[in-house]
Amino acid sequence: MAAIKAEAVPYRDAFRANPAEPAWLVDARAKSLAAFGERGFPSRRDEAWRFTSTRPLAENFFVPVRRDLAVTANEDTDFGKLGFEGPAYRLVFANGIVRALPSKLPPGLWLGSMSQAISERPEAAEFAISEIDLGGTQPFASLNAALFADGFVFDLDEGVALDRPIEIVHLGKSALPTSIYLRNSVRIGAGSEATVIETYVGQGAYWDNVVTNIAVAEGASLTHIKLQDESREAVHFASARISLGWSARYRNFGLTLGANLSRNDIQVLLGKGAHANIAGAYLQRGDQDTTNAVVIDHAEPDATTQELFKGVLDERSHGAFLGTIRVREGAQKTDAKQTSRALLLSDRASVNIKPELAIFADDVKCTHGAAVGDLDKDALFYLRARGIGVDEARRMLIEAFLLETIDTIESPEVREHLARQVRRWLAAEKA
Amino acid sequence: MLEIKNLHASVEGGREILNGVSLKVKAGEVHAIMGPNGSGKSTLAGILAGRDGYDIASGAVTYDGQDLLTMPPEERARAGIFLAFQYPVEIPGVNNMYFLRVALNAIRRAKSEPELDAGQFLKSVRAKLKLLEIEDDLLQRGVNVGFSGGEKKRNEIFQMAMLEPRLAILDETDSGLDIDALRIVANGINRLRAPDRAIVMITHYQRLLDYVVPDFVHVLSEGRIVRSGDRSLAGELEKTGYAGVGS
Ligand SMILES: Nc1ncnc2c1ncn2[C@@H]1O[C@H](COP(=O)(O)OP(=O)(O)OP(=O)(O)O)[C@@H](O)[C@H]1O
Ligand SMILES: [Mg+2]
Repeated sequence: MAAIKAEAVPYRDAFRANPAEPAWLVDARAKSLAAFGERGFPSRRDEAWRFTSTRPLAENFFVPVRRDLAVTANEDTDFGKLGFEGPAYRLVFANGIVRALPSKLPPGLWLGSMSQAISERPEAAEFAISEIDLGGTQPFASLNAALFADGFVFDLDEGVALDRPIEIVHLGKSALPTSIYLRNSVRIGAGSEATVIETYVGQGAYWDNVVTNIAVAEGASLTHIKLQDESREAVHFASARISLGWSARYRNFGLTLGANLSRNDIQVLLGKGAHANIAGAYLQRGDQDTTNAVVIDHAEPDATTQELFKGVLDERSHGAFLGTIRVREGAQKTDAKQTSRALLLSDRASVNIKPELAIFADDVKCTHGAAVGDLDKDALFYLRARGIGVDEARRMLIEAFLLETIDTIESPEVREHLARQVRRWLAAEKA
Repeated sequence: MLEIKNLHASVEGGREILNGVSLKVKAGEVHAIMGPNGSGKSTLAGILAGRDGYDIASGAVTYDGQDLLTMPPEERARAGIFLAFQYPVEIPGVNNMYFLRVALNAIRRAKSEPELDAGQFLKSVRAKLKLLEIEDDLLQRGVNVGFSGGEKKRNEIFQMAMLEPRLAILDETDSGLDIDALRIVANGINRLRAPDRAIVMITHYQRLLDYVVPDFVHVLSEGRIVRSGDRSLAGELEKTGYAGVGS
């Protein structure tokens, strides 16, 4: 038996095989647990984790949540103004366990919980467990495979354009350090169109560990929005692995406001002629710390990628952006552009931006740009010289700075929903 | 209304730019300040509006008897001071209309006047746009974003017309305007003339002063007002240049 890392021991000990689960899953869980045990937590010596501290996780054992754990989260009071106001097919999770399902679904759509899918729709569950970890950098995804209790499964048939977004709401609530594991699967059939909005919110000290596998079939289009406004004591790690078929389109926008420590891993594998638009905005204050790590893999010709990330860091907060673009041999006519910018609003705030291009084809266009700065002094003076107070002027300029990222979203309702969240953050008291 | 007394100022950590400017502006008056490039005209305007980055070594500025130099820029604007920038700033992502409404309401609140609702605001905007012959669509863009040089200057005067200041300082608002635009802008300025208001125009050209006739003309050179006179001084300068002027 291989040696197990000390930090992995309590998680291994908390693991209970469930004999009611199908054999393939029992097996996958055991293997994943062993893989995590050997690997342990990533450290700053791992290139992909150089700028992300896992110290808050090492200091505490976050007890894995059990299905039978009492959950007192209340949708209305805890969720508040974070919900999407338009019509949506909504799924609600409390501490990682499904609590509410949409009542009526249109034909061609399967939307439900992972616990349900394991028996009713095993191929979707298997897809969610399949490893498409492009960088080999995700030990927490292995831990997730071993311990996940639930998640959402979204299957859309071929040729269906959904009339409203799928909204996935996660409420976390915990008095003691608790770990929550969600395993999600999204499969969009050829030529179909859909939007998924994920929202994370909560109270107390918990660790959300989310893994989502996504396949967008040929000619299909998926818009994937995420609003992360977790409790300020929470840890939020989410990993999305997306594969895009021929001419498929994928748009991802993440707004990071909450959590004490958070990380988004987004890995996209593009097929021929596919298009990925990956954007994000992160706003942090106090001693919050967030990382966006995006790996774009151009495996075939004629595909395009646009990446745009913007951060606003106040007080002692820290942000990081790691952007890898890989263009494999034969992926000719790849067109990829990456932009990452950050505003540092305080002397003690900091950011790390690390672009990485690995290009093995010769007929490609790849650019990246990064900039870190403060608010434009001339613009600030101009606004103040018109009677606008300094705080309001700063808020206006910060919102303007972020606008470009939100503008990558096509739906005006979703754009406004997110712009409202940004304004709410800006209006909030400092930590 | 405005009194500048022996003002000495330098760029933070740099050389002295204003060395002993004194100027008195009373309500109802229009003053023109002329002077060679680099003589300190924009520096003076910036200091009056509250731009930071200057060291005031000595001297004083009062506005309605109040010490102006300790007031933050927004308070000066709320007290009725308006600077039309020589180089209006482009602010992408901040919508022009929204910006103007926030500004106007901030100033109205300071004067204990009720804020304008969207309808009242729009009505006022429409009237003033017409006066300055500005296209509607300019207002839907980011503040000054993609405006031509002349459009930026017109937008400054449009903002002035909306905010109705008591003391307007216009820094080379006439530069870069075509002949028709100059007439339109001058008309906008003249409409603001009133017994309880004052205007200080910084300019290089006699032309503007033909439309907006000043009560006083001053020559600023090397950081000091070296000569003051009535409107005929501008005509004289046009002929002789700055070389022969001053002490
Ligand atoms: N931030 C600064 N740093 C260094 N020097 C400055 C700064 N601002 C102004 N100056 C200098 O101060 C002097 C006066 O500048 P100012 O802009 O006030 O001139 P001006 O009279 O408005 O000229 P113009 O007619 O060309 O607009 C110039 O020599 C300029 O280079
Ligand atoms: Mg000047």
